[in-house]
Amino acid sequence: MRLLLLFLSIFTVLVGLQGPTYAMESDNGANKVKVRLIAERTSIQGGEEIWIGIEQQIAPHWHTYWKNPGDSGSAPQISWDLPEGFEISEIQWPAPHKMPYPPLTNYGYSDSVILLQKLMVPDVLPEGEIELEADFEVLVCKEECIPEYGTYSLSLNDQDALSVQEDNGAYIAAALKKVPVMQGWDASYMQDGSELVLNVTPSEKLSNIDLDSVAIFPTEWGMVNNSAQAMVSEADGTYVIKQERGERELSAVKMSEFVLRYDVDGQEYTYAFEAGFNDEVMNADQTGADGQALSIEGSGFTGGFLGALIFALIGGLILNLMPCVFPVLSLKALSLVKIAQKHPVEARIHGFAYTFGVILSFLVIAGALLLLKSVGAGIGWGFQLQNPLIVGALAYLLFILGLNLSGVFEFSNPFGNAGGKLANQSGPMGSFFTGILATLVATPCTAPFMAGAIGYAMVQPAYISLSVFAALGFGLALPYLALALFPPLQKILPKPGAWMEVFRQLLAFPMFGAAVWLVWVLGMQTGGGGSAALLSGMVFIAFGIWLMRHSPVKPVRLLIVRVLVVLSFVIAFVAMPKQHSNSVMPHSNSDHDEWYSAYSSEALEQALLSDQPVFVEMTASWCITCKVNHAVAINIDSTKTLFAEKDVQYFVGDWTNEDPEITKFLTRYGRSGVPLYVYYGAPSADTGERPDPEVLPQVLTPALIKKTFVQ
Amino acid sequence: MKFKKHILTAVMFLTALPFTSANAMDAAAKVGAMAPDFTATDALTGESFKLSDHKGEIVVLEWSNHDCPFVRKHYDSGNMQDTQKEALANENVKWVTIVSSAEGKQGYVSADEAKKIVMDEGASISAKILDPSGEIGHLYGAQTTPHMYVINAEGVLAYAGAIDDKPSPSAASLEGATNYVKQALGEIEAGEAVSVAQTKPYGCGIKY
Repeated sequence: MRLLLLFLSIFTVLVGLQGPTYAMESDNGANKVKVRLIAERTSIQGGEEIWIGIEQQIAPHWHTYWKNPGDSGSAPQISWDLPEGFEISEIQWPAPHKMPYPPLTNYGYSDSVILLQKLMVPDVLPEGEIELEADFEVLVCKEECIPEYGTYSLSLNDQDALSVQEDNGAYIAAALKKVPVMQGWDASYMQDGSELVLNVTPSEKLSNIDLDSVAIFPTEWGMVNNSAQAMVSEADGTYVIKQERGERELSAVKMSEFVLRYDVDGQEYTYAFEAGFNDEVMNADQTGADGQALSIEGSGFTGGFLGALIFALIGGLILNLMPCVFPVLSLKALSLVKIAQKHPVEARIHGFAYTFGVILSFLVIAGALLLLKSVGAGIGWGFQLQNPLIVGALAYLLFILGLNLSGVFEFSNPFGNAGGKLANQSGPMGSFFTGILATLVATPCTAPFMAGAIGYAMVQPAYISLSVFAALGFGLALPYLALALFPPLQKILPKPGAWMEVFRQLLAFPMFGAAVWLVWVLGMQTGGGGSAALLSGMVFIAFGIWLMRHSPVKPVRLLIVRVLVVLSFVIAFVAMPKQHSNSVMPHSNSDHDEWYSAYSSEALEQALLSDQPVFVEMTASWCITCKVNHAVAINIDSTKTLFAEKDVQYFVGDWTNEDPEITKFLTRYGRSGVPLYVYYGAPSADTGERPDPEVLPQVLTPALIKKTFVQ
Repeated sequence: MKFKKHILTAVMFLTALPFTSANAMDAAAKVGAMAPDFTATDALTGESFKLSDHKGEIVVLEWSNHDCPFVRKHYDSGNMQDTQKEALANENVKWVTIVSSAEGKQGYVSADEAKKIVMDEGASISAKILDPSGEIGHLYGAQTTPHMYVINAEGVLAYAGAIDDKPSPSAASLEGATNYVKQALGEIEAGEAVSVAQTKPYGCGIKY
């Protein structure tokens, strides 16, 4: 043994290898991991503390594990056999790396790693040589795994050893630097649907952090999907880190340590901190890290439960004005007046039936949404319009309603007997169904400031979410209910008369308009062929509806007509495009001139190196607010001139079909959706640094843009 | 034309939509929820095995890869066979071993090899399912070999995770280990709630 050591020491000196001399038992040459025990120094005195390193030299392409090994594997185990009085600390683990083996990801080390333990030496030392021994078990994996075991020993205070004064201080110090230092940061995490949201406030701002390179490693298992990417945003010194959750409910993990790492120019920064589970109400303000996400009205949504209820109520009221809801309701209201004149009691029943229908359907839809969310689908209110099938079905529905309003056909009461018109009196049941219909056509038309209340509701316990949705429904039902309950209000409405029929026909046009919009959205999602297919479907629907008006007396003919009716509806639905097109069509819109560049993170980075101001617009075809903003505030002569004057570099990102690069950008600014407008001012002449990027509100005006650019 | 555009604009504005991104999470099985159903061929008998046909019975799923050191630990020591015997002593329990290794990867076996391994190991199991496409593995979010699942008679996933509380490839670790599968089965049979219903699985990553 000593001879071997002598030989190794000489060899080391001769070859001039870096690294310390060491003491060890012979290792099996076939092992994938070569293990050495390294003492900070080999001569010790009573009462002191020294570091012991457990060095693993890992064969190329193989890896060993961190204390949380990730999806598979296991952490190395060490058990010491120490002389009396000696104690040794827990292992200090260097920051791990992600080891992807799709679909699994492990946390661990490749090449080499040094685990550290602090040895506490007793005050009174035994005479002579002190022998420390450790059984070390390490699992090493490439794709396959091999467990390796070994017993290693370390001699301290060995007077006979050649190198009495082994000093590995520098080597150990370098190894200690790789162990993230535990910080006393303010940190907590919460569960937001399928995501873990970690809020971390470092004691001081992390210098030149690259948010895109941030990775988090919880020491507790099952908190995050280990393969998922962390999305990081920062505001006022607090970092909001979101990552898809793992298999555990976070409420089951009260506390965990985390390692946070990021890289800048190949230099790696790591920190450790402890965070607790925060089961407090997660209000929408926290989801919009920059406090801008909901600033449509210039005020963030911070109201809590009561506030959410009020917002939802107001939102519901506004839904009454939606082009698809308004026609149905105004006719309904007018017919109510007719009833109320004769039977005030019945009018009230109508009011309640309608309210019941609205609230019930809101609860059903919200319940379904929560259910989907609880099984892990990462969706939110408004997710409907991502699916071409739903867009198509809504387009059909609006088209059919339009046909109905223009008098092409009349709905019959679904519960038998020849029914009155849709918006006409047909018993309380009719009012109930009008309520359902109103909800159906209103759900996708969520007014912008409802986003706050809905966003709040989606992360609450079910009973709160459902209360918020019920309030939303109540808001929608309120005007009609008020009319039904307070007859004086009915005087505000014009007297019923022949003009109502004309009015009704007129109201068909907003319906058709909304249908046209949905056809266009679908075209954007599925390509030009998609909208053609949907339009053909509409022809079949019109044909089917026309056929329905004919009921021949002869049973055979009647059967043929019925079959044809069913067939044309079936064809209409078969014709609906079901798939997103693969190719995004960012520039197919004629609104888009050539005065901007397509967004990419490299292009933006490049642009930010220049002296020009930079403006980034994130948009999508199905996003109406985006289109309106673009048409009203950006794609106009005055703004174009302004851009030219200020020499602005203008980037547009199209998120019609999901694009991870754009998602990343959105997340960085605390958003989960479009529109997003960010302005990077020109670098200051004095410092050469750009001011903080400015996020513009979600509703733009030319004046607002001008103000942003000129300030 | 311009007028029409404005109307359209107005219509669009009023129907403004909030929107949230949809990052579909893997539809992994969830403890406390219905275990996802699957149908596959039993390599031992060549017959079809459909999970939902076994409602009313307790079903144990064991993910395996006979070349994985962790699987070897539990089979060479006889611990897995022992667990199987104890489980199947109750006639109302089915034990299904699933191999999700992709073709060409470690642990992948043909039906004949699978049978031979069962014989050689002296395993007592009800069925062995070869899942080289990884479909069932993904359905359950299986990560490691071994990775254990216990489904109760109502078809609800009652336990998911490791076989015991000693995440080590060393057979020495078996001494004094708490076998979570035995514990869960015992509690289910006694009509009690499963006290430890979810643990971190340990072992080799499944070679999907």
